[in-house]
Amino acid sequence: MATIANPAADRPHPRRSILSPVATLARRRSQLTVRTPRELFVPLLTPILFALVIAPALKQALHTSAAYESFIAVGTIGLLVPLNTMFAGLSVIVDREAGAQRELLAAPVPRPTLVLGNLAVAFAVTAFQITALIVAAVARGIPFDATGSGIAWFLAASAMFTVGMYGAAETLASRVPEPAEYIARVPAIAIVPWFLGGSLFPIAALPIGLAWFARFLPITHALALMRYGLLGEAGGLRDIWGMASAQTMARLSLLVVAAFAALLTAVSVRTFARSALR
Amino acid sequence: MTNGPAIEVQGLRKVFPSGVEAVSGVDFAVQPGEVFSLLGPNGAGKSTTIGMLTGTVAPTEGSARLAGFDVATEPLAARRTSSVLFQEPVVDRQLTGRRNLEIHARLWGVPSREIAGRLEEIVEAFTLSDLIERPVATYSGGERRRLEIARTLVSEPTVLFLDEPTVGLDPRIRLELLDVMARLRERNEMTLLLTTHYLDEAERLSDRIAIMRAGRIVASGSARELIAGLGEQLLELRVHGDPGASLASLARAGIAGRDAFAVGSTLIVPARGRGADEARAAAASTGAEVLSAVQRRTTLDDVYLWLTGDDLADAA
Repeated sequence: MATIANPAADRPHPRRSILSPVATLARRRSQLTVRTPRELFVPLLTPILFALVIAPALKQALHTSAAYESFIAVGTIGLLVPLNTMFAGLSVIVDREAGAQRELLAAPVPRPTLVLGNLAVAFAVTAFQITALIVAAVARGIPFDATGSGIAWFLAASAMFTVGMYGAAETLASRVPEPAEYIARVPAIAIVPWFLGGSLFPIAALPIGLAWFARFLPITHALALMRYGLLGEAGGLRDIWGMASAQTMARLSLLVVAAFAALLTAVSVRTFARSALR
Repeated sequence: MTNGPAIEVQGLRKVFPSGVEAVSGVDFAVQPGEVFSLLGPNGAGKSTTIGMLTGTVAPTEGSARLAGFDVATEPLAARRTSSVLFQEPVVDRQLTGRRNLEIHARLWGVPSREIAGRLEEIVEAFTLSDLIERPVATYSGGERRRLEIARTLVSEPTVLFLDEPTVGLDPRIRLELLDVMARLRERNEMTLLLTTHYLDEAERLSDRIAIMRAGRIVASGSARELIAGLGEQLLELRVHGDPGASLASLARAGIAGRDAFAVGSTLIVPARGRGADEARAAAASTGAEVLSAVQRRTTLDDVYLWLTGDDLADAA
């Protein structure tokens, strides 16, 4: 075989920061997302309906206190996050079916950045929606009792829960071949845990077996932490851990939600890398 | 400076989880600036080979290097030197043409300060000015393909893969794109690997051609060399009845060798100094009914049909 000089090898190949491709991929995803406004607003409809219409109606019908509205307003975030991240996961299937994923796989960027770019946008959209939900709840007169540290607990819990749920969505999207199959599995992942995770009532009200099951659900920990942060009440944490120190219980629950986020992100990256390559 | 081929493939093999062996150990090398075509019918393994070279298909065995970089152990460096035009559309249809080009440039690490200039150059070269600000969803098939070819060049690749670049396009657009691809050869000693089952496309664009069948390369060389393998002249006989039996008759009469083959009711037989009348007479003497017999020059189509068709000569 003849060998001749190859100009390609002379080109400099500077090391690039991982942030650069993530930023490009996130920008691409956000530009695609804003062209489909349903991705921004549809997941918001049900939680807002719950917080602003159904919760006040339940309060009136059941003669509960104003605290129940606040309880439900936070509980609906537990529905908003899974719904929104599941919607975001659909875009992975769209990329695969439309062919764009092949171009991305051929790009000289580490494969995990393809997942992280999507995650960044799902995270931003979810943050926007949570903010919109809380603003709507405050405008409706639903009371919150948040301190600076309380807001920090809330933000940490909602951020970790969002990251973990997006990991679940991306993993599912990488594993199922068809959008219809993906959508068929959304209720089991996004809605069933929400009913059991202390969203509408404390888990202590569940039959004892289900209450134990609920203690292992990340959403139970996330909602208990969010209520601890935004409402200043540790009842949810106490139902899980049964300890005296609210701070200790909050730290333990945050650890659970952080582990959930780390594990599902790692699984989603691994599943994507394995399934995207034929 | 590294010396060596722009593309070097050794023992590349792919077995899919279903057990289908799509590529059964191929070897080839493409020199810098060369245009190399992989020809073959559907399922021959052409696209899977490109997939393994571009990192979208994981090889089962073997190795491949692009511009000296191993695609398995140095994947980012290998992918940075190359670009690929996939068989199916891969652009973001909701985004504008310009945005699609920008995304490619950024993902391939083109410095930000150079992106605008390169895009202007590409847009002008591919006469995309009227389209570039429109969403790709509004483009015709030919316009979208032109944008996709333009996009592959934004990163100034050293190795460019073109996987069935003109499949499904109408003849006028196909000819326009062939012109575009012929011009690519003039750019910066770029190496092209083309897969196609349009023989005229391969003959027009390629320095060398490899013909694949059932995951293997069954012949390679320039178009002229491949044609010479079958002989410069062919006898084409249209027969009535079973072409396999007619071919067997011709073989018994010493007219047809193992390189004779049938396509439908037409027998193709390397002439080797015999004329059409002689072949007709020999066939008739064995009882075969010959409807017509002509002598003509061998084309790349004949070589392709010979190498990728069923081996009817075995029946002879």
